[in-house]
Amino acid sequence: MPSILIVHPDRKTQRVLQRILGVTGYRVDISDDLDQGIRLMDHVQPILVVIDGSAVLSSRVNDFFMHARAKGAEACMTLLGSAAVDQVPKILGMGAVTNLLVHPMPVLAEELTITVQKLIRSDLFGAEKYLLWGTNLQETTVTRGSQRAQLVAHLSEQVRARGQSARVASMAMLVADELISNAVHNAPVDASGTHYRAELARDQELELDELHQVRMRWGCDARYLAIEVTDFFGSLDRDTVLTALAKNDVRESGGGAGMGVALAYRSCDHLVFNLAPGRRTEIIALIDVRHPPTERLSASSYNVFVERT
Amino acid sequence: METRGRMTIDAQGDALLLAGSIDESAALHELIGRATAGRLVLDLGGVTFINSLGVRDWIRMQAAAQKADLKVELRRVAEPLVHQLNMIIATRGNAHVTSFYAPYACDACGREESLLIDAVINAAALVKLEPPAMTCPECAAQMAFNDFPERYFSFLSS
Repeated sequence: MPSILIVHPDRKTQRVLQRILGVTGYRVDISDDLDQGIRLMDHVQPILVVIDGSAVLSSRVNDFFMHARAKGAEACMTLLGSAAVDQVPKILGMGAVTNLLVHPMPVLAEELTITVQKLIRSDLFGAEKYLLWGTNLQETTVTRGSQRAQLVAHLSEQVRARGQSARVASMAMLVADELISNAVHNAPVDASGTHYRAELARDQELELDELHQVRMRWGCDARYLAIEVTDFFGSLDRDTVLTALAKNDVRESGGGAGMGVALAYRSCDHLVFNLAPGRRTEIIALIDVRHPPTERLSASSYNVFVERT
Repeated sequence: METRGRMTIDAQGDALLLAGSIDESAALHELIGRATAGRLVLDLGGVTFINSLGVRDWIRMQAAAQKADLKVELRRVAEPLVHQLNMIIATRGNAHVTSFYAPYACDACGREESLLIDAVINAAALVKLEPPAMTCPECAAQMAFNDFPERYFSFLSS
């Protein structure tokens, strides 16, 4: 029977996570440390392993993730304290954690529940899953490369017109610009896997036929501003995403190509990758509009979901 | 006034005023040729946006300035640029920031405002990560700094 495995040393936190994950109806197994978790995985079939970010300091963490991956389980890390935020570069550098949830309660509970439900239901796509019922999503199709600038400016105006701060509008502009730019220029691949538009100048006009068109949707439910960008190539893969996110190293980088995803990640509160290989890539950026920067952890969550065929 | 893509350049006094979006069309490195007496002064108060390609161009400009032994002064650096200066160390070059905008919020009336900080007058306090006190333009209450000082002021430490 599929289950969810929690690895956490603190009994109270184990109980909190068990309550959150138990609502899925799946059996929830608990272990106090990574070794116990590895042994447990020999007897259970977890779809998801949830461990605390502090585990990244353990020498057994790589073995644990290897076991989890061999079992077909997705790895989810939660950061329950601000001290754990310091471990984010290390976690990203491991390239094994497909889900990192950094926000304190109650946001963590929401993020964890959505993560688990998406995995259980194999229903990955759509920003609606992150927004409250009734939230209207505005949709635009990008049919020309030069449309990006107008779209981004229009998004900023609309976000401001809906009462959001200049800071939120600025974050939205950056995220939308980078995601659309990636979808127009980096997503298209030919049969040999060559990204044939990646080297084109970004200010060169491109007419986009149906295959090359990019969809952007956005909406706000007064908790999150969600920006969703979809291409219909599905060329982005899990390892490329994890490598791009790990460019912390964005701090030392020279800017430009390959930095778009890393910048988008650092400019929002939660970045979600929904990958259907060969069919479509959907990236959803969530910007927290409830809490000022001083009430949030200085790290962002991410999820990398891959559609299973 | 000169327009490059969505960015405008306007000479005013000893400074070049940049406004709008810095992106792939900005060709910032060409500004090096506009330096006078070994100085390039950029007023960035009107910059509303910079993307990753604009960042790359910005870094090229900084590198070209260092190569030409130019002194670069950045005035009224807008928040979107401060975020990039904090995130990507290479964007800082050898530039000297004399003033910048920073986020403040009023606990009394809830107003959020981007306010100008003089980095020269407040240098000692900023080193200690102490944001200067600001008054709310709406209700005159004292405003609180609306970010983590250790994060927002990190670009000043290089």
